[in-house]
Parts: sequence; structure tokens; C-alpha cells
Amino acid sequence: MKYYIKMVRPYMVWSFLMVVIPMVLIAIYSVTTGGNTLVNIQFTLENFAKFAEPIYVQVFLKSLRIGLITVGICLILGYVLAYNICRFEERIQSSLILLVTIPMWINTLLRTYAWISILSDNGIINTALQALGFDPVTMMYTDFAVIIGMVSDFLPFMVIPIHTSLNKIDKSLIEAAEDLGATPFQTFTKVIFKLSIPGVLNGVIVTFLLSISTFVIPKLLGGGQYTLIGNLIENQFISVGNWNFGSALSLILTVVILAAITLMRRLDQEEKEEDL
Amino acid sequence: MKKKKSLPGTVYIIVCFLFLYLPIFVTMFFSFNSSKSLTKFTGFSLRWYQELFADAEIMSAVSVSITIALLSTLISTVLGTATAIGLSKNKKVIKELIININNIPIMNPDIVTAIGLMILFSSLKIEKGYMTMLLAHISFCTPYVITSVYPKVRALNPNLANAAMDLGATPWQALYKVIIPMIKDGIFAGVLLAFTMSFDDFVISYFVTGNGVKNISIIVYNMTKRTNPTINALSTIVILVIMILLIIANVVPAVMKRRKKQAIIRHEQTDQGTSA
Amino acid sequence: MKKKLLAVLAALGLTILALTGCGNSSKATLKVYNAGEYIDTSLLTQFEKEYDCKVVYETFDSNESMYTKILSGESYDVLIPSDYMIERLIKEDYLQKIDWDKIPNSVNLNQDVMGQDFDPDNEYSVPYFYGTVGILYDTTVVDEEDLADGWELLRNTKYAGDIYMYDSERDSFMIALKALGYSMNTDNTDEIDEAYEWLIEQRDLMSPIYAGDDVIDNMVSGNKSIAIVYSGDAAYIMSENEDLEYYQPDEGTNEWFDCMVIMKDSEQVDLAHEFINFMLDVENATANTAEVGYTSPVTEAYETMISEDYAGISSYAPDMSNPLDECFRYQTSEIKQYFADLWTKVKAY
Repeated sequence: MKYYIKMVRPYMVWSFLMVVIPMVLIAIYSVTTGGNTLVNIQFTLENFAKFAEPIYVQVFLKSLRIGLITVGICLILGYVLAYNICRFEERIQSSLILLVTIPMWINTLLRTYAWISILSDNGIINTALQALGFDPVTMMYTDFAVIIGMVSDFLPFMVIPIHTSLNKIDKSLIEAAEDLGATPFQTFTKVIFKLSIPGVLNGVIVTFLLSISTFVIPKLLGGGQYTLIGNLIENQFISVGNWNFGSALSLILTVVILAAITLMRRLDQEEKEEDL
Repeated sequence: MKKKKSLPGTVYIIVCFLFLYLPIFVTMFFSFNSSKSLTKFTGFSLRWYQELFADAEIMSAVSVSITIALLSTLISTVLGTATAIGLSKNKKVIKELIININNIPIMNPDIVTAIGLMILFSSLKIEKGYMTMLLAHISFCTPYVITSVYPKVRALNPNLANAAMDLGATPWQALYKVIIPMIKDGIFAGVLLAFTMSFDDFVISYFVTGNGVKNISIIVYNMTKRTNPTINALSTIVILVIMILLIIANVVPAVMKRRKKQAIIRHEQTDQGTSA
Repeated sequence: MKKKLLAVLAALGLTILALTGCGNSSKATLKVYNAGEYIDTSLLTQFEKEYDCKVVYETFDSNESMYTKILSGESYDVLIPSDYMIERLIKEDYLQKIDWDKIPNSVNLNQDVMGQDFDPDNEYSVPYFYGTVGILYDTTVVDEEDLADGWELLRNTKYAGDIYMYDSERDSFMIALKALGYSMNTDNTDEIDEAYEWLIEQRDLMSPIYAGDDVIDNMVSGNKSIAIVYSGDAAYIMSENEDLEYYQPDEGTNEWFDCMVIMKDSEQVDLAHEFINFMLDVENATANTAEVGYTSPVTEAYETMISEDYAGISSYAPDMSNPLDECFRYQTSEIKQYFADLWTKVKAY
């Protein structure tokens, strides 16, 4: 396949222009002062020092917590969904996977508005509850609303890679395990789940990224007081106009995420080596 | 995987789909509302559909969204697939470098990518509009294609292409006849992801566009002040179109198959008839 | 396979050409940048027809995001920002002076709205809409007597959990500063810190929701009984929900003015003036204010509204007579950052 080595060149050029240079520009912003004009810039580490203030650390931890909860729920719901989809014949499977994808084609903002009309104090659920004689429940502007919104938005990103991995598993391996006397539970943990780990990792990484950096969903479903790291960054760029601090925040977020992913990938690799 | 359907499994799939589709059903439902409210249904009406088709701004946004999504999907699929194939045979250093660069747009919050690209386009003095939006979309879609395709390429037997070429295929033929068919699942997943990301994108489009070029998300975002069910009408139409396409894609082949079968049976019957 | 791909590519290429190619006619193009849902869009089509030109109309969701876009090098002919942003744009030399001779319809303007501090002689700005910030409350829940407390109503524990604050640092600090009797344009950090304490206490006592524009739909559906809103939004909400009433505390509030301005590098200066003139035409201004619900500075349009479309809706005719009312002014970036950091601390807990 050495003939194809050159095929990476267009993307190397492209990514240098469209990915690396913008990141360098942001990095420059993060270590300078002087607002948005590049005329009187000065080097500084103030923007990073500012992050150490308790409030920003708190926001960061909250984002992590909400992100991990969302990923956890997506993983459980998504795995079981992908697993059950895999039991159907090929043709139905691809239709089902398409059905999982379609909601993503409807505007995220719009789906989030729909959750508002479902969850709000006089919304669909509460109207139904009251009609049945129950007390209304406050759901809007809580962790619950934000997590529901995120899960329904990100679930497809978990289901698709897991399904791809599960679908790839060689049937004969499962049969072999059963022939060797493995219980269904053992077959699942020792064979199926192990072989689907690449998909799980992929799904976990993507949903984690999405949920830790989103700002639209917490803003609409959690209200202004629901500040996650994504909101903080958006605020710095849009309402405060402090691009320098905003850039520093996004670099910190990028580094943390990069570290988390490298760690996950390494764990995956170690596991594989153990198997050998 | 085992092909054993179970009732609880099917029920679970239905429940998950209800969860995923609930906001969409709500969106559709309120598109037929006679008032502007998105929480109280005041009566059936088609007024939002009339307003939708009369609204030149929304209609042009629809065509921007669709063409940008199609073009960026197409270009990023070609670019991403080529890169993924080339990547597997490159030196480790280059491989890691590209993979890491490739991760940047995926794990950066949209807002950071958006600001980076905005600064880039501004400093290069490129006039913002359709082209900048397209370039931005290609640059955030391609990484998703690469991440979907690359694992498939890595799983390929490297001798396959060589074998094909030993048998007289040109590298181009080997690519088309051997490699691409083997990784087509990955490409398909990449296409779906890219299309979805592009069609749904708001933040990046918002910052890199100009000259009045708007996609659906930007229109929706600007409507947030006064919720406007015309956009619900639009989503209803999008959903219906997708559903119809799905049905055609699934039913037509099935019907054709049955016809063929019937034709064969009839043929056999006539054969028997003549032989008897 | 390859042929098919090529065909698809060619088809797509043609579509792009068709999409981007057309519209490049020789007609003059006017670029207008306004807040979202803030115009009767049929006026744009009408303007295009009358002046045989093309209007490229874009919208923003806040003055700040408009400013970010301008900063990134985007240029427009006509902008419609708010007072303090206009002052900033003037200071940073983004605007050009209005040639009032080219705007004969300026005679229709209500003179009381003119000459505000951010542009005392209206050298750069032509009023578009104006109003105040106030408390929108549910008359069936809120006791009229409690209104005497002014802004302290927002800390009356009777209504804990029943309040929408507005998710904007300037508006929230305005409330706290006014409640404490300070100027909302203060740059005295002691006063600002005191206001910060006020907001923190309010937050802990009342656990309010810091809402954005979703407050409009929420109040229309009656989800909570007190909200901080702009008078123009209040007019729309009150026309949809009869239980609500609008109240401006005596301690003073924010008076705001959104104005039309022309950017310095505009290439269509004459057409931009024609546009501004067009928006001040009595008939057009009436259509615009009727659609949007914000208070028109065009006297006749205003009078038509208070006797017809918005008759009986107090917030359409906000009280601008309180001497304690102020208009937001330009802030230095240090003070802006100071407010922003405190606001983050109020919200994120």
C-alpha cells in the first residue's frame, strides 16, 4: 500500500492552514494582553493565573461532573440500544441505525426548545400530571433538564460507534465461547464487551467532548445560572469581549481533554497487550 | 453477533426511539398550532406552512444549509478517506502528528474553532460568505470522516492491495476495487457524521459567514427572541422528506425482490406446465 | 463509480454557481445589521422595490456579538445598536456623521427622545426604538402593596423561587446599584462590590432563574410571576397574557435607546440615509412598531399605537420622566472585566 502514502499530503496542507494556524492565533491571544487589537500587545501569563481563582475551578469541576454523568447515562442507554439493534437482520439494522441518526438532522436548538415545552412549569409533562391529579414538578433550570437535553442530543454519537464495533464481531467467536461452556453472562463480559471496547471508547470520547464543551443546552435548559466551561468561554468571547482570557480558557480545556483522551487510549492499548 | 430477537429488546428499542423522537414529535405537533405558543395548543392551523413558503429568507437558508452540507460532506469524505488510507502506511511520526492535529477540531469547543477560523479569515482578508462557510464546514467535517474511516483501514490486511497489484491491477484500480469496498462501512459512517455535523452546525457558521448568507440554524437562533412556529413547520417537512426517502430506499428493493421471486416462480410454473 | 462521482460533483458545482452567481446584478446593495426579530421584514422588500436596490439584512443576538463581528473586520452600511454601544463605536471611530439634510422625515421624530448623553447632538445616531427596563408581574399573585418596595421586591422572600432575572451583567448590576441608590454607570469599585453583595444575597434568598430571551415565552405561559424585562418585550408579553402588569421602581431604572447609525466605511452613504429616512416615514414606522411591540420615536406612529394596537398596555408608553433614570454609558475595558468577573461569580455557583 506504499503507493498511497502521498494521499495524506492534501490534508496535511489543509489542516496546517485551517487547523494549526487558527490554534496558533488563539495561543497567541492567550498569552498576551491588549484586547483585540494586535497593535499594542504584551506578553503575559495573567490569563492563565486567573483560572486558578476558585470560581473558575468550580465551574470546571461542575462541567466535568455533568459531562461524566451524561457520558455514563449515554453509555448505558446507548450500549443496550446498540446491542439490541444488532440482533436484527442486516437490512433492518441499517434502517434502525438511520433512525438513530435522523434526530441529529433536526436542528439542535429546535430540539432543545422542544424540551423546554415538554419540561417547563406549564409544559406538557406538568399539564399531564395535573390532569391526572398529581402535583406539578419543577424540571426546567435543573441538572435534570440539562442532562435530559444533553443525553437526547448526544445519544446517537454513542450508539453508532458501539453498533459498528458490535456488528463487526465474528459470530463464530461467540459460538466458540458457548461451546466451551461459557454462560451468557461470561460470553458477554469476556467476549462481546471486550471486542466492542474500541466502539465504546470512541463513543465515550465523542460524547464527553460534546458534553463538556456545549453551551447552548445548559444556557437554554439550565438558565443563566447554569454556567459550564463552554458558557464561560462563550461569555468571554461574546459578551465580555476578553478574547485573551477566553483563549486561555479554551487552551486549558483543550489540554485537559487531550490528556483524558490519551489516558483512555493508553488504557485501551495496555488491555490489548495483556490479551496477547 | 447473534441474531436472536427478544421481545424486551424490541420494547427497549421502541422506548429509546420514543425518547429520541419525543422532542421532534413535539416540534411537529406545534407546527400545526394556530397561535405562536409552543406550550399551549390552541387549535389546528396550517398558517405556519403558508408563512414558511412565503418567507424568502427561510427558503434561501434551506438551500444554503442543504448545499453546504452536501458539498462539505462530499469534499470532506474524499479528503478524509484519502488521508485515512494514506495514513496507515506513513511513518509513525507523521501518523501521530496528523492524528493529533486531526483531533484538534473534534475536541475543541465549537466556539474556539469558530473564533480561530474567524480570526484567520479576517487576517487573510477573505470576504466572508458562502465560501468561508463551506471552507469552515469542510475543516470541521473532515476529522470526523478520518476518525470513522481510519480504524477500518487499520483493520485491513496490508497485503490485499499488493495482491491485487500483483495480479495486474493499477494502484488506482486496487484502491477502487479492493480497498474502498472493504472500508465502505467506515466511509458510510463518516458520510453520515459529516452531513449531520454540517447540517446542524450553528456556532461555527455564525462566526464565519457574512454578506447575508445564513443557514437554518442561524435563522432559528435569531428567532429565539419570539419563538416562531414557521421553523417547526420546516422541521416537520425535513422529517417527512427523510421518512419518505427511507421508505423508498427500503420498500423499493424489497418489492423488486418479491417481483423477481414471483417472476421466477411463475417461470418455474410455466416450465413445469410445459414439461407436464 | 468514478463517472457517477464526477457527475455528482459537476451537478453540485453547478448548483453552487447558480446559488452564488445570481444576484450579482449591478443593483446597489445596502447591508443592514440589526437585532433579531426587530423589524417588520416586509419593509425591507418594500424598500428594495422603491429604491431599486438590494438589501442584505443580517441579525445579531446582542450588542456584544455585533461588536465582535465588526471587530473581525465585517462591514455594514447601517447598524442598529444600543446607546452605550453607539458611544463605544463613536469613540473607536467606526461611525460617520449623519447628514440630517438627507433625512427630511426627521421632522416626525419625538424631540424628547433626541439628544441623549451618548450622542448629545445626534451627530451620529437616529432613534429607532426606545424604552426602559422594569418589573413584569402577575397581578393575580403579586400584592400591589409590595410594589412600594421598588427593586427590593426582588428580595421579598414571599416570592422566592418565583422570579426571572435577566441574564445580562449590565441589567442585573443596574438593578442592584439602583436599589442601593448609586448610579448604574459607577466606576467606584466599593459601590460595585456592594451591588455584588446585594445580588449574592438576592440569589441566596430567592434562587431566581437568570433567563435570557426565553423569559418571553415563559411569562406568556405564566410559569413564574415576576420577571425583569425590557418595556418592548413587556408590551408583547402583556398583549398575550392579560394577568400581567409592568412596573418601574421609583429608585430609577435604565432608559435605553436603539438607534440607526452609518458605518464609516459604508460605500452606500446616500442609500443608507434613504433607508434611515424610509424607516422614519410615519406609515412605515407604524407598521414596524406594530409588528415588533417596541416604542417608536416617531410621534404619530406612537400615538396610533397607544390608541389602537397597544391601547391599555402601559409598557408601550414607558414613563421616562423619573430623574433617577439613566442611560448606559461607555465602560472602560477594566471596569467591564470587573463587572463580568463578579457576574460570573453571581451566576455560577
